[in-house]
Amino acid sequence: MSQAIGIDLKKSSVDALIAGLLALILFGPIVGVLLDGYGFKTEFDRVAWIVAIVAFGRFMLSCFLQTEKGIALVHRFARSDDGAIVLPPGHKSKMVWVIPLVIVIGLLVPFIASKYVLTVVILGLIYVLLGLGLNIVVGLAGLLDLGFVGFYAIGAYGLALGYENLGLGFWSMLPIAAIMAAVAGAILGFPVLRMHGDYLAIVTLGFGEIIRLVLINWSSFTHGPNGVSAPLPTFFGLEFKRRSSDGQTFHEFFNLPYDSGYKYMFIYLILFLVVLAVLFIKHRLVKMPIGRAWEALREDEIACRSLGLNHVLVKLSAFTIGASTGGLAGVFFATYQGFVNPSSFTFFESALILAIVVLGGMGSTLGVVIAAFCLTVLPEILREFAEYRVLMFGILMVVMMVWKPRGIVRVTRTGFASRKGASK
Amino acid sequence: MLERFLLLNNNENKTSRGLYMSNAVVKKTLLAMAIAGAATFAQADVVIGVAGPHTGAYAAFGEQLWRGAEKAAMDINAAGGINGEMIKLVKADDACEPKQAVSVANRLVDSDDAVAVVGHFCSSSSLPASRIYEEAGVLMVTPASTAPLLTDNGLPNVFRVCGRDDQQGDVAASYIVGELGATRVAVIHDKDTYGKGLADAMKSTLNAYGVQEVMYEGLTRGEKDFNAVITKIRSVDAEVVYFGGLHSEAGPLVRQLREQGSKAIFMSGDGIVSDEFVSVAGAPEYVDGVLMTFGAPPTSYPSGAKVIQEFRANGYEPEGYTLYSYTAMQVVAAALSNNNLDPMKAAEWLKTNSVSTVMGVKDFDEKGDLKVSDYVMYEWDAQGKYQQIN
Amino acid sequence: MDIVLQQLVNGLTLGSVYGLIAIGYTMVYGIIGMINFAHGDVYMVSAYITAIAIALLTFFGIESFPIILIGTLFLTVAVTGAYGWVIERIAYRPLRNSSRLAVLISAIGMSLILQNYVQLSQGANQQGVPTLLTGAMRIEVGDGFVQITYMKLLILFISLLGMGVLTYVIQKTKLGRMCRATQQDRKMASILGIDTDKVISTVFVIGAMMAALAGVLVTLDYGAFDFYVGFIIGIKAFTAAVLGGIGSLPGAMLGGLILGLSEALFAGLISSDYKDVFSFSLLVLILVFRPSGLLGKPEVEKV
Repeated sequence: MSQAIGIDLKKSSVDALIAGLLALILFGPIVGVLLDGYGFKTEFDRVAWIVAIVAFGRFMLSCFLQTEKGIALVHRFARSDDGAIVLPPGHKSKMVWVIPLVIVIGLLVPFIASKYVLTVVILGLIYVLLGLGLNIVVGLAGLLDLGFVGFYAIGAYGLALGYENLGLGFWSMLPIAAIMAAVAGAILGFPVLRMHGDYLAIVTLGFGEIIRLVLINWSSFTHGPNGVSAPLPTFFGLEFKRRSSDGQTFHEFFNLPYDSGYKYMFIYLILFLVVLAVLFIKHRLVKMPIGRAWEALREDEIACRSLGLNHVLVKLSAFTIGASTGGLAGVFFATYQGFVNPSSFTFFESALILAIVVLGGMGSTLGVVIAAFCLTVLPEILREFAEYRVLMFGILMVVMMVWKPRGIVRVTRTGFASRKGASK
Repeated sequence: MLERFLLLNNNENKTSRGLYMSNAVVKKTLLAMAIAGAATFAQADVVIGVAGPHTGAYAAFGEQLWRGAEKAAMDINAAGGINGEMIKLVKADDACEPKQAVSVANRLVDSDDAVAVVGHFCSSSSLPASRIYEEAGVLMVTPASTAPLLTDNGLPNVFRVCGRDDQQGDVAASYIVGELGATRVAVIHDKDTYGKGLADAMKSTLNAYGVQEVMYEGLTRGEKDFNAVITKIRSVDAEVVYFGGLHSEAGPLVRQLREQGSKAIFMSGDGIVSDEFVSVAGAPEYVDGVLMTFGAPPTSYPSGAKVIQEFRANGYEPEGYTLYSYTAMQVVAAALSNNNLDPMKAAEWLKTNSVSTVMGVKDFDEKGDLKVSDYVMYEWDAQGKYQQIN
Repeated sequence: MDIVLQQLVNGLTLGSVYGLIAIGYTMVYGIIGMINFAHGDVYMVSAYITAIAIALLTFFGIESFPIILIGTLFLTVAVTGAYGWVIERIAYRPLRNSSRLAVLISAIGMSLILQNYVQLSQGANQQGVPTLLTGAMRIEVGDGFVQITYMKLLILFISLLGMGVLTYVIQKTKLGRMCRATQQDRKMASILGIDTDKVISTVFVIGAMMAALAGVLVTLDYGAFDFYVGFIIGIKAFTAAVLGGIGSLPGAMLGGLILGLSEALFAGLISSDYKDVFSFSLLVLILVFRPSGLLGKPEVEKV
């Protein structure tokens, strides 16, 4: 073993040379030859820098991996650790005080944060809702859904078009949009029940795209690419506008100076309460028979069916409950943005929501919340990097997955013990 | 209108709302005085946002926007700034996505304390962002968003130094009917706010002239194979193909049209004003004879000669929207300096006063549009250049 | 009549391009069961390399079309193959034993990286390549005509050739046998002495090379591309792969052709507004009746 600690510089140098050569092949043309019309300009210094950095980085990495720590790291990667952490029966978390604390902080946020921070937090909460919805479908029921954005779009357009055509406001559309999305989930659910894994993925992807394409093309109803404006929520009938079209506005009623921040505060507070409610419902669902059935179906469908579980009902319930959560998120998105158009509902959005679920740790509620905030706040923080923003985002996605393939938070659950006498 | 104008003015003096609106500005000026008093070399700043697609598929336009605004700000600062205060530009990237536009708009008014914004570029971004600027009392001058809806919304703070799509559509339709005398017109658009808006505006004027289009269809932005649509154009035997969209689709479209042996006249709007149109089409001969509506050449105004020369001296050709962006910045600066840096007063001022810019003297109507529409017809030649035709 | 024929020709050429790219998806899926979302962007990278190769070759004074074509094909296929290898090595191999979803997210991240890396180094503007091969074959049909450019004929020819060579490699050579063995049972294959990691790398390289082939041909034909061009065509090719039965080589070609033809015919005869809606609906319909795609083997459920 003592031999292994020594660093083989020759091996590292060869590694570095190969890496440098590869970097030259990869980056040489794209970075070094800048297209300019049909001609080109050369930028070889950029290539030289990149190749030097790659070669040096590979050299250092190669050296590091030969040290004791490096070897330990490699071994850590080779181990595949999965499954949930099972706590002993009757386990009581010592962290109970955290939940009230988070609620209190959450309620205080709008009064201390600036308007910009508040809007970012609202967006974060919207993605929490989306993540929670998809988490039921993908994380718990194990149905890979790449078209979740379709339900989000139904919710958002539901509010905007419901207001425009039927005069329905935020409060009446909130439940209606959720029901509409649930119905769409059920409609999508039926034909795809027979499909497995990746066939399901492409069909759901197609569903999401169909919804978006219909929104773009059916201009007479959806106004096509121009989008539709969406109403703000009202506070017991009081509007949050500067000047009310009819009746009083919020700031006039309470004799406050007009501040566009109020509406974001109000949206935030409703959204926060809705998220809490969804979290609570989901928390209970997972422990109920239906939640158990989802997870059982994910692990082994055949076993479930032989044990008499109605797989159609179980899958459909996952689809509809997940979809209705997506619809809720859509309503909030529309009212927050005040305007919806089809370009907010592209496939990339579905991928982002899926990334939230997977990065958070499949099936873990806490993980979804953390990941949703990471993925929405991160691009805003990275705004400082301007054009490198999305590149950094992509790199972080890959690095996170390589580093923690099971997501940020591992699922934990309390174990069960049969009551004495019950199983005898 | 005048009545409402006066009323508004009174309100501002009496109620706290007026106070709030100019709060940021007051704070800024106070701060500026304090800093100026403390250290003579430190200059206070007027923060102006430059919002557009600095990344993403339309980053090329974002660069035109930035170049023009940057140069204008430098020139104005070199001449003493706005009432002695230096312009500080903030680059705000919306990637032409409405969601990001809302986010950056909030950031501009909230964190950066911008008093005015030059932008956005895409109409679909300008629309949602304009509401946020209106609420925050920030002046918005867009150099490129041509969707009629933007100023038809009636927001008091929104201006544009470009034309409107319906004006552009009018010019195209009357040219088709009047000069070309064509009756078989195929209308194609790219299903986006700009492209479809332009195509619809052209179509409605065309129909008003009594000419019914023989085909009206959308293609998908980002695709490059339009052969199916072109075969259809051939089958309806169109004399003129009118395309509402950008050069990224117009290039392959016109090339594939010629490759399938169609000789129909190809016409489009200001979305194809870029040298890239030629390289994307594959060869200059494909764009030969393509017609295009665009504002009177921005480089043709004598008042802009010096600036253009300076751009070229720096090795940059001010094409497309560069000078529009320069003009927008000049409009912002003039309005602010005449109104003590109060953006909402500046907005009202713009509706009654004219500003002389590198693109001539600009007058705005009550909606915030230019009073004079200056769209003219251009034709591309076999060398890949475009000239005005008359 | 001539219009329908012309639409068939349009659909065939479009479909053969989809088929070429779909091969990359289907091979990778067959062997490690992952959807390689970065594949469309590999195609995009190859479009850039094509333009760069053409610019370099013309700069060195080469003007004859066949030499430029062969040189460009060689350079592009080689460099893009290297991209395929490196992407697999960096983003997918560390995740070999993780859940398939983790790999999927890693692939989406890789796709973002590729797009933005190309945008940062080459700029976001539209790029074009000069038209090298002009002229078209014109067939008179009744009082109309069907026109096929020589470039389109070349696309059909080369893609058929590429598919033929690939089928030969997979069916008849030792490498192909190793691929198929790994596909059937990776653990067993490695016990029998096959270096499965190497085989998987090779599959990624082959997939990238096929994408590069499509990249060269399409770039020469359409002339225009940007850093975002891989997205739509990638989704379409993926759809084609699933349509034909993911994991099956002939399925990918068949799926590509069906998708191309259905798009062209629907756009040409009904409306191009809803052509993608039609394609996706067709996909759903086919999958409802054949849940494993047209040529896919039905999944045997093991208890």
